[in-house]
Amino acid sequence: MTSFRKRTVQKPIRGTRTSPHTAQVITSSGNPSLDVILGGGLPIGSICLIEEDRFMTHAKVLAKYFLAEGVLSKQEIFLGSLDDLPAEMLRRLPKPLTDEEVELEQRQEQLASEQPADKNGLRIAFRYGDLPLVNSEQAGHKIGHHFNLMEHMDSMMLYYAQTTVWDDSYKEHDIVVQEDNISNSSNSLDQTATIVADASPAAVDATPPPAAAGENASTVAVDVEIEADAESTAVISSSNNNNNNNDNNTASTTPGTTIAMPATQPPPPPPPPAAAVAPPTAVAPPPPAPSAMEPHFFYNPRYGRLLNDVQQLLRDESFVPGTNTQQKNLCRVCLTSLGSPLWYDDHFAGDLLKFLTILRASVRSCTAVCFITMPMHLIAKYDTSLVPKIRQLVDYSIELESFAGSERETHPAFKEYSGLLHLHKMSALNTLAVHMPETTDLAFKLRRKKFVIEKLHLPPELQETSEKSAAADIMATPNCGSIVSGNSNVSMDF
Amino acid sequence: MAASVLIACGLNEQKLPGFVHISEESNVDGSFLISCILGQRLRISNAGTLLVCLQHHYQHYFNAGMRLGYNSNIFLGKTLNVIDVLSDMARQGLNSKWLRSPNGLTLTEQLAEDIRAQLANNYANRSSYTILIDNLSILFNLGASKLQVQQFCQALADLAKEHENLTVITKLSNSDIHQLTDNNVAKLGHVRIQVLRLKSGVFREVDGKLLIERVLDEGRYACEESRKEVLYKVNDRNVKIFNPGEIGVKV
Repeated sequence: MTSFRKRTVQKPIRGTRTSPHTAQVITSSGNPSLDVILGGGLPIGSICLIEEDRFMTHAKVLAKYFLAEGVLSKQEIFLGSLDDLPAEMLRRLPKPLTDEEVELEQRQEQLASEQPADKNGLRIAFRYGDLPLVNSEQAGHKIGHHFNLMEHMDSMMLYYAQTTVWDDSYKEHDIVVQEDNISNSSNSLDQTATIVADASPAAVDATPPPAAAGENASTVAVDVEIEADAESTAVISSSNNNNNNNDNNTASTTPGTTIAMPATQPPPPPPPPAAAVAPPTAVAPPPPAPSAMEPHFFYNPRYGRLLNDVQQLLRDESFVPGTNTQQKNLCRVCLTSLGSPLWYDDHFAGDLLKFLTILRASVRSCTAVCFITMPMHLIAKYDTSLVPKIRQLVDYSIELESFAGSERETHPAFKEYSGLLHLHKMSALNTLAVHMPETTDLAFKLRRKKFVIEKLHLPPELQETSEKSAAADIMATPNCGSIVSGNSNVSMDF
Repeated sequence: MAASVLIACGLNEQKLPGFVHISEESNVDGSFLISCILGQRLRISNAGTLLVCLQHHYQHYFNAGMRLGYNSNIFLGKTLNVIDVLSDMARQGLNSKWLRSPNGLTLTEQLAEDIRAQLANNYANRSSYTILIDNLSILFNLGASKLQVQQFCQALADLAKEHENLTVITKLSNSDIHQLTDNNVAKLGHVRIQVLRLKSGVFREVDGKLLIERVLDEGRYACEESRKEVLYKVNDRNVKIFNPGEIGVKV
C-alpha cells in the first residue's frame, strides 16, 4: 500500500482568494484602500459595519463599491434598505475601469503629484533625490477591481447580475401593477418587484409611483388585499436570477395576497430580441407558509421579514460551505441605513440586537459577507449603551467622520481630506490575532472618480501662528492611538 | 503557545476552581482566553469539556485552536462536546428552539437544561469536566433579562458545587455596560479575570491588560484576595505576557 494521495485542490469561489497572512478566504470590499486596511479584504462570513457620516454620502459610496464588486465578480447580491430605493441604488453603481485605464490614471496622478514642486521652483535636496516618493494612499497589491464614480455601470452588466432587493414592499398596501413592455425597456432594474400570474408577464411594481413612471410602461392599479396580520405576509423581492432560474418564472403570490387582475389581460409579449437589454421576468422564491414563517420573535415585523429573506437566500446550496458543487458562489448582503429612524419603535434596541445576532449566525455559517451601514450618531442619541453592543456583534466597525458642516471643513490642516476614518473594531475571525493596519490615524477623501483612504498627514507648516494653535486644539494630543482614546489626560499604561 | 497566559491566570493546573468568570470590557477582544483554556483542558487525558458557542461558531474555535497547536476535531464527540447555538440558529432560522422556546422554557432555562443533559451523559466517564460558556452577553441580545442570566449562572455555580472536579467558566462581553450582572456573576466564583483595554490608547506591542482577582481565603468577616495585573499581546500563533513596566516606547 502506498502513502501517495492525490491532492484535491478545491476550486476557489469567484472573486475570492486565500489571504497569505491569515490563510482565510477573503473577498474584496470593492475599494482597494479599504481592502488594505482590512488586511486584504473581508473574510468570508464576516460582517463589516460602516458608521455613517452625518450626511450619509460617504457610507453610501462604500456600499456602492461593495455592490459593484459583487456584480463584477458575478456574485449573488442582496440589497436591503428602508431609507433608499434599492433598485435606484443598483442603477447608480460605479463603472469598472479596465487595466489600461487604471494604469493611465495612476500615471496621471504621479505626474500631478510631481508637478507642483517644479512650478514653485522648489527642489529636493540631493540626498533625498533618490528616495521613492511617499505614497500615503492605502493601496496594496491588486485585489478586486477599480471603479469610476463619475460614470454608472453598464446596464448589460446589471442585467446579468444576480440581485435580490428588499425595501419592505408590504409597507405599501396599494401595489401598482406595471405592464412590462419588455422590448422597450432599456434597464433590467426598472422592475423592482415582479409577480407573474398564470404565466402572463404582468408585473407588480412595489416602488413608489414616481420611480415607476415613464419608461414607456403603462401602469394599472390593482387592489391587493392583504390579510390583517401583516406579519404573516411575505416580502416580494425582486430578483434578477436570469442566468439559471428561467424555469422559476412561475406564479408566486404570497398566501395572504390576492391580486385582482383585469379581465382583459394583454397578450404575452413576444420574447425579447437577443440585443434587447431587458430582463426576463424573474421572481423571488415563494415565501414559506405564514404560520411557519415568523414566530413573533420581533416586535417590529420588518426585522422578521428582512431576516427571512436573507436566510432564505443564504440557504441556497451554492452558499453552503464545504460543498463541491460547480455553482459555488458568494453572497454579498448589503443593508444600508439599518437602524435609521424609519426602524424606530418602542422595542427598537432589543429588536436591533436580536436581528444582528441572528444575522451574524446566518452569515457565519455560509459563504457570504455582509456590509451594513448605520447612522450610529443617531443611535447614540437614542441609547448610548447601544453603540458598543452593536459593535460587539460585528467583525469590523469603521466610523466615517465627515468634515462637512463642521469647522474642520475649512480648516487648513484638513483641507486635503473629506473626513477622518476611525477603526473601532477589527476582530479575529477564525484566527487568533487580529490584523492591524500600519497606522490607525486615517483620513479619507472623496475625489472626483474615487474614494481614497490615506494616512493622516498634517501639512508641513501652517502659515500663521493662530492657525497652528487652532490645529493643535482640533487635533487630539499626539499620544499613541490618539484617535481611539479621546481622553488625553490619561497616562500611558505601559 | 498559551502556557504563559494560563500561568498568569492560574489556570494551568489540572484541577481548576469551581467557577471562573471572565469579564471583557467594550472594545477589547478576550476570546483568545477561551481558546487557550480549551486547549489546556483538551490536552489533559480523560478530561471532559463542554463548549457552549454563543459568540462564535465551533469552526472559529477549531481554527483558533489550530493556531495554538491543537486540533479540537480529534476530541470532538469524545472528550469535547459542543452546544453550538449559533449554528442551530443559522440552520433553523426563526424556528430555532433558542428563539421560540417551544417547551415553554426561556432561553436560559433551555440552555441550562441542555447543559445538564450533556453533564449527565458525560460527567461519569471523565476525571474532570469543564463547561466553557462564550459568552453571556449574547443571551441579553437574544432577549434574556438580567434576572434570567443571573439565575442561569447561579444554576451553573450550583452544579459546580454539586459535582466534584467540575469547573464552569463564563465570559461576559461589554462588562462595563452590564456592570451589575458582571459583578454578581463574578461573586459566584473565586477567580475573576478582567480583560481591559489600554486607557492610553492603542499600542502596537501590547493589546490590553489582564486583571486577575483570586479569592484566597474567605473567612467569616474578612476575605483575603490576590490581585495581579499583566499586559498581553496576542500574536498569530501565541499569546505573550508582560509585566507592567517591562515594555515601553522605544525611541
